[in-house]
Amino acid sequence: MRKSFIAQNPSVLWFLAGLAIFTLGVTFMSEAAGVDMISTSFLKTLGKTLCLCLVAIAMDVVWGYCGILSLGHFAFFGIGGYAIGMWLMYARTEGIVATSLDSAALPPTPQEITDAIGSQIFGVVGSSDFPALWAFSHSLPLQLLAVVLAPGLLALVFGWLAFRSRVTGVYLSILTQAMTLALSLYFFQNDTGLRGNNGLSGLQNIPGLEARGQAVVSLWFFWASALALGMGYVLFAYVVSGKFGSVIRAIRDNEARVRFLGYHVEHYKLFIFTLTAMVAGVAGALYYPQAGIINPAEIAPIASIYLAVWVAIGGRGRLYGAVIGAALVSLMSSWFTGGSAPNINLGFYEIKWTDWWLVLLGVSFVLVTLYFPKGVGGIFDALVRKTAVERQGDYGPDKGAWRNDEGKPS
Amino acid sequence: MLRFMLVCLCLIFVAPVAHAQSLQSLLQDNADAVANPSRSTVDSIVSALAAAPVEGSPRFLEDWRDKAIWVRLSDGIFFSAAEDGDGLVLTDLDTGAQTTVAEDDGFDQIRPNAGVRRVINAALVQFQLSDADVTRRIAALDAISRDPAADQLVPLRQSIPGEPDASILARKVQLERQLTARFGDSMQERVAAINFLSGDLSVEVRGVISQILTTRQFVGISIPEGTNVAQIMEIGDDLDEAEAYQLLVDADLAPATVTPDDIVATLTAQIEDGQVAGVDVSTLGTDAARIAAYDMLVTRGDAAPFIAPEDRASALDAHTFYLAYTEVNVDITTAAEDAEAAIAMQLNVGKTLDLTLDALSLASIYFLAAIGLAITFGVMGVINMAHGEFIMMGAYTGYVVQQIVPDYTLSIIIALPMAFGVTFAAGVAMERLVIRHLYHRPLETLLATFGIAIVLQQLAKNIFGTQARPLTSPDWLAGAWVVNDVVQISTIRIAIFALALLFLCLILYILKRTRLGLEVRAVTQNPGMAASMGINPDRINMLTFGLGSGIAGIAGVAIGLYAKVTSEMGADYIVQSFMTVVVGGVGNVWGTLAGASLIGFTQKGIEFFNPSNTLAAQTYMILFVILFIQFRPKGIVALKGRAAGD
Repeated sequence: MRKSFIAQNPSVLWFLAGLAIFTLGVTFMSEAAGVDMISTSFLKTLGKTLCLCLVAIAMDVVWGYCGILSLGHFAFFGIGGYAIGMWLMYARTEGIVATSLDSAALPPTPQEITDAIGSQIFGVVGSSDFPALWAFSHSLPLQLLAVVLAPGLLALVFGWLAFRSRVTGVYLSILTQAMTLALSLYFFQNDTGLRGNNGLSGLQNIPGLEARGQAVVSLWFFWASALALGMGYVLFAYVVSGKFGSVIRAIRDNEARVRFLGYHVEHYKLFIFTLTAMVAGVAGALYYPQAGIINPAEIAPIASIYLAVWVAIGGRGRLYGAVIGAALVSLMSSWFTGGSAPNINLGFYEIKWTDWWLVLLGVSFVLVTLYFPKGVGGIFDALVRKTAVERQGDYGPDKGAWRNDEGKPS
Repeated sequence: MLRFMLVCLCLIFVAPVAHAQSLQSLLQDNADAVANPSRSTVDSIVSALAAAPVEGSPRFLEDWRDKAIWVRLSDGIFFSAAEDGDGLVLTDLDTGAQTTVAEDDGFDQIRPNAGVRRVINAALVQFQLSDADVTRRIAALDAISRDPAADQLVPLRQSIPGEPDASILARKVQLERQLTARFGDSMQERVAAINFLSGDLSVEVRGVISQILTTRQFVGISIPEGTNVAQIMEIGDDLDEAEAYQLLVDADLAPATVTPDDIVATLTAQIEDGQVAGVDVSTLGTDAARIAAYDMLVTRGDAAPFIAPEDRASALDAHTFYLAYTEVNVDITTAAEDAEAAIAMQLNVGKTLDLTLDALSLASIYFLAAIGLAITFGVMGVINMAHGEFIMMGAYTGYVVQQIVPDYTLSIIIALPMAFGVTFAAGVAMERLVIRHLYHRPLETLLATFGIAIVLQQLAKNIFGTQARPLTSPDWLAGAWVVNDVVQISTIRIAIFALALLFLCLILYILKRTRLGLEVRAVTQNPGMAASMGINPDRINMLTFGLGSGIAGIAGVAIGLYAKVTSEMGADYIVQSFMTVVVGGVGNVWGTLAGASLIGFTQKGIEFFNPSNTLAAQTYMILFVILFIQFRPKGIVALKGRAAGD
């Protein structure tokens, strides 16, 4: 008999319960609840971390389950952020412009308002006209749609081009990295109309909610992030379980064999690639209003590689692993680089963690890759004690798992 | 001609100068003008000095300009003087004898104003053109070409016959032609000079030609007789309607249009008790409402009426818009136009050549950066994300060597093998410690090497700091090979090209002619089969990885010589290097060469169409690569058959 979804994936219940307890706990300790044990800025950090966890599980699905090492998912994350940021900037500037135009002798015409908003937003790059990209920026629903559709469409087109020409493995990784670089260079240009390297700023001020205060708005965003993470977890747990999930994992382990079995490998890959890109966009749209600013440096290739690092440290092929990795590394990173970690005095040299954190991260990452391919999440395997036969060979679309052993001189 | 002018010049000044033997007596003849110089009198003194070849007049002019000439009030004698506390150090203008006076009472400083100083400066140029000192002559020529004027022509011509230095002579002749083209006396003379300049690419000549071809915008019912028309402008093609009408307005040939700003200003001025022309101000939030209110003001006679479209059209029709040359002589402008066309032709040829050289140098940089990557990727199927950091290590090795060995030539000679050694060792260590354990997990190698990359980058930051370190090239590499004003390339880029060529040959030799190369190729094509033939793939992998890393180190020294050495320099090249390898095809030197050339030339080609935006060039180059992969997924030079691996 076929087991129910929950019975198949006990981790979903555990995860949702944990997330709920965490959210409630943070809520009661937050400034908005009056307890003031968690400052608003730390609440924002926690909310941002939840968004990073969401994009990490998307990355886990595309890499850990489907075997596509995409170095572009943080770019989709950034596109989501830009999409919501455009509306936030437009709406907020509209409010500012309206008050300043009120003092004029004549009531402003719609054209005058648009021009004033344009020169306010684009003055920093020496322009005042609205570029075509901003055509929908006045409308929240349309920009919310763009949060999902823009990354989805880009992923669809890019994925279609890449998968149909059967680019796989490291080639595909390099190609996605090239896409990310092209995108960030494109965003860096002033001509693009996204304010070049200035990026979009002031995103933490939500139009219409100014009176509420940052403490309350941050809490709302925290809740929204937690909700999105929970929903994303259930969605992906559903996607990777069942027959569809089996095909996905089979593609990771041996793409050619799945193709010979008659599956349209490209369609499966394209679906996963696009779906995860959309979720990454949603995560970005929740992240950047909490961060307050987005600029093209955020979507540089290095960010996407870090995303892969989080997933690898947390443990691929298990959704909770990605969450653990993203939360652990990003929180540790802000702890170490924030200067709150105590320096270590060796007598002849003082280790300042602001300088040495990246070295520590790099070394531990190499060690995890070498000796703990299951990552931190692998600890749970030891706890649960799986009765299944230990997997032979390795993860990833390898060129024949036994090649190395066969090639050994003996 | 020249002689005639000389004679004329002399004749004019012979009378007053005849009895002037020394500088002092010459100045005394014009004592009043020297002591109280003004714009109207300064010319006579300058001409007098120019006509009489007296010793020390350039020095006097300089001192005069610099307010260092003082006059003794008791007898009116002029001195060159320097202030010394309260006193003065006086220098006799004729003998150069120095005397010191304790008090400057009884002396008066002469202070020419700015206009006079300018005239003196111009006069100085004439003296400097024949100065015995070469640098002064060159400075004078520079001054002329910076700010050419008609009155420089004669002194320049005079200085040509006595010029001993060949290169300065050539420059003088060239400059004389340029001045003649602009300020020559007769039409024939100027046309001849323009024809002489035709096809010369220098910025100066291009400036001269465009000066001659200066145009101004005119509008009128008809074109007046004797106008040298450059172009008749058609409305719609050369000029849009609004611009054309604005020209009419500016020339007082038509009434001004009413702009939206005018409407707002007029309406605002007419607000009374919250109403304009009986309309509530609060309703004026649309353009239509504003125009309606304005119309009402017009009918009341309180505002200027709108211009009817048909009036506007007929006004535009009735007038001719044209560009006219400020130069009235048609023959001269025709000659200049021909010269401009010839220069433009030459310029295009030059630009194409320059672009090709640029692209070639970019391609060689990409080749150097990517060839190491291509070897390791081809042989081991391993992407080394730390390759960029090896480039950086090589550059920093060069920097450290330069700190120890101060001689730049020697330090480069030492740095190249040192960089190879350091990065070779680093590569071998990395292969032994990390990559060996991940051979059949290529994606994880990619990530593990990335981990190493961030460690290396951060270590470099901790050791060398975040600011850029200079890697100074020796003097013989510092210059540039200048063909003309358009085509030039820095020597360092030529050196990099030579280095890339050298490495191409070296790697081809190693791969095709040595035992190691044979084994490397065998492992590239089929590691299993190679192993069964008695080749030790472990050893080959280690050596190729070391070799690839070592070349990255050398590339680092080369790149560091023309760019700054920073901890992030490797990251700037890594994606381009990947592109090069992917486009070129794996495991083939010629493929990498083709890939580097394709990418270098494409990028420079795109930059050519949009020179101000190199970011756009990179963006489109990457898009091009992504599309290219669609058609040749295995790169330009793909391994065939079993070797391809799948």
